[in-house]
Amino acid sequence: MTEPPIDVSGLVKRFGGYTAVGGLDLRVGPAEVHGFLGPNGAGKSTTIRVLLGLHHADAGRVRVLGRDPARQAAEVTRRISYVPGEVTLWPNLTGQEILDAFAGLRGSRDKAAEKRLAGAFALDTGRLVRTYSKGNRQKVALVAAFAARTDLLILDEPTSGLDPLMEEVFQGAVRDAAAAGRTVLLSSHILGEVEDLCDAVTIIKDGHLVESGQLSDMRHLAASVVTAHLPGRDAATVMARLRQTGLTGETTAGTVRLAVPRDLVPAVLAILADADAPDITCTPASLEDLFLRHYVVAPR
Amino acid sequence: MTMTWLLVRRYRLPLLCWTALVTALCSTPSAYQSAYATAEQRRTAVVLAQNNPASTLVYGRLPDPGTAAQMFAWEIGAFVTILTAIMAVVVAVTLTRTAEDDGSLELLRGCGVPPMRPLHSALVILAVQSGVLAVACTGAVLATSRTADGVTGAGAAAFGAVVGLTFATVAAVTVLLAQVAATAGQARLLGFTALGAAFAARAIADTRHLGTLNRLSPLGLRAVTGPFTEDRWGALLPGLLAVVILGGTAVLLCARREFGAGLLPRRDRRGGRLRIRTTVGLAARLARPALLSWTVAVAAIGTLFAAMGSGTVEQQRDGEVGGFLGSQLGAGDPAAEYLAYCGTVVGIVVSTYAILSILAGLRAEDTGRTGLVLVTGVRRWAPTAAQAVVTAAGCLVVLTITGVISALITPSVLDGDDIGPRSLAYTVGQWPAAMASIGCATLLVGAFPRLSGLAWLPLLASSGLALLGELLGVPRRIQDLGFFRHVPDVAGPDPHVTPLLVLIAAGAVLVLLGAAGSTRRDLRAG
Repeated sequence: MTEPPIDVSGLVKRFGGYTAVGGLDLRVGPAEVHGFLGPNGAGKSTTIRVLLGLHHADAGRVRVLGRDPARQAAEVTRRISYVPGEVTLWPNLTGQEILDAFAGLRGSRDKAAEKRLAGAFALDTGRLVRTYSKGNRQKVALVAAFAARTDLLILDEPTSGLDPLMEEVFQGAVRDAAAAGRTVLLSSHILGEVEDLCDAVTIIKDGHLVESGQLSDMRHLAASVVTAHLPGRDAATVMARLRQTGLTGETTAGTVRLAVPRDLVPAVLAILADADAPDITCTPASLEDLFLRHYVVAPR
Repeated sequence: MTMTWLLVRRYRLPLLCWTALVTALCSTPSAYQSAYATAEQRRTAVVLAQNNPASTLVYGRLPDPGTAAQMFAWEIGAFVTILTAIMAVVVAVTLTRTAEDDGSLELLRGCGVPPMRPLHSALVILAVQSGVLAVACTGAVLATSRTADGVTGAGAAAFGAVVGLTFATVAAVTVLLAQVAATAGQARLLGFTALGAAFAARAIADTRHLGTLNRLSPLGLRAVTGPFTEDRWGALLPGLLAVVILGGTAVLLCARREFGAGLLPRRDRRGGRLRIRTTVGLAARLARPALLSWTVAVAAIGTLFAAMGSGTVEQQRDGEVGGFLGSQLGAGDPAAEYLAYCGTVVGIVVSTYAILSILAGLRAEDTGRTGLVLVTGVRRWAPTAAQAVVTAAGCLVVLTITGVISALITPSVLDGDDIGPRSLAYTVGQWPAAMASIGCATLLVGAFPRLSGLAWLPLLASSGLALLGELLGVPRRIQDLGFFRHVPDVAGPDPHVTPLLVLIAAGAVLVLLGAAGSTRRDLRAG
């Protein structure tokens, strides 16, 4: 069986007495777009730096593209494209010179892809970097990353400076990369972006794994939200019948709202239909519903 | 006032350091009292200085009768006013444009600070700084009145006023140029260009007897005021008027430019490509602008320094040079000893460039640029090693160009045997010392980045041993531990190059250790 592009188990990374990552497991399959989520300070960027061989793990097993990045960082990163959240470039070089430098150092380049991506991202590569906005600096890193002939893309909050139109271009580039068989690890706080792009997600908090798996499976396990508008007198009666199924909900001005596990949805809808509720909506759990509860953190 | 205090709070350390340096230099008149044992020796030195074109070019004209105070104002006064002018350019740009370029002023403007307030605050600070310099320099000179002939209250005050007004004038010119320049860097470049023009005007005025030109140059204030000679206070008035006019014009121009931009358009585009395949190639491309500036500066200063030694060499042939310079010249051939001393000074300056260049590599790591380079498949040690290799090559370029120019020019102004080859050898021979500095800095940056500030320690210690070791009676074996003063006389019998080879080997080993050390630690950012 082929080894997954990213296979991490029991990763521990400490900075002095502070444990940034405490026994994390992360597994990303081939050609998968994998969301890497967690609140600020959860340890996402630290984990990514360990994957890139920029930080050394204190414990655990880390394999990236079948190699140990701590020992074979150059061999690993030659096959990786990386975009950090805060891109700092050399101000006295132009965007094109930076692309030339990255491609030259990597030793391979796809000029056609680079030109196509620079056009798609509307990047003026002839300008000096010091005149670039944050978004334009981000675009240079994105063009270099997608244009490189690499097997794995590690993107750490890559769209924080992009406008909505460029966000669309970015999503297209990620889909193209996945379609071409490249693996993508995407760390992002933009849950809509993750929801649109990712097949699987890993959520970490305080340096520990909280949840990991296919997005569809996680949705399946989560509750849907059902709302219905009922005449004032019926609302209390219907709510009492719903409570008999073991659910709790709220009634406000004749509107019933409750979270319903997937297996109880037909029964709840039957009760509401029986009460002749004129407006019934059933919304499957969103990524926000799934993850926002994990974002509540205490200072570490 | 909040804005003014905020700027003072932010830049208090450089302001204090510059002031301390200039003030310390002003406490040296008594050294000119003790430098000559007899009145006859002093008279000989004064005549030589007055008739030496190179000295006149650098320091100006030494007035009669050449008292200790006059010699101080002539020689140290030249250094002090040039240093003060450099300080004025750096500080004026820092206060007026750097905060705009780095974005910190944008936040303050967003807090309701009126558009012109930052410039007003900067002008207030510059005016106060000018006054502080005048008072501090007057006090420092006056403190030596009992130990140096010719130091008077009026003379000291005139000297202090010259220093203060030199600062104010150059700062006002720079503030005006900062309104025109597109960026802080360009403002600094324009400021230094103006300073170069001021020096040239003063040099032409003194060497060609065109006294009027001195009235047009901030660096000519010393000559037109004549501290310890005529003490002409009225000569300062045109300078004061110029400061007011320049400051007022700067305020008018400031109101007509955009935030973060100057009146000159910014050069934003370039069409070239970058054909590099290694970290050495990238480091070399990034080092190019700084290397060019350092090469021009070191070549100009080094050659000038070597060329103006004829008076000193003549005096040393009669065994008359004492004090600090006497300790530098030793007992060998006077011309060779003087060129060795010039080489040491050049070596110290080039080693400073070397350390700054290696520390720039650490800044690249802190800002995440090294991380971006490493993830292209580059070995962890490569950026550290590349920075050291490029810095070593840069030092060799600076020293070779300085040495060749010096070797071409010095023989025509300095009497002695083999002046050209000696000039070249004493300059290029400083490369091993620069290598040793590179090694120390690379070891710290690579293996112990938190201690990178200690990279200056070997240079400071070596400079101290080279410049003051003999004067302070430090034993020879301790002096030999320093990086400098190991270059043999190539025209002498059996030049001994082993210490130079040891320095190169030590530098190379330390670079390797630093590069190896970088692989054993986490990247600091990126």
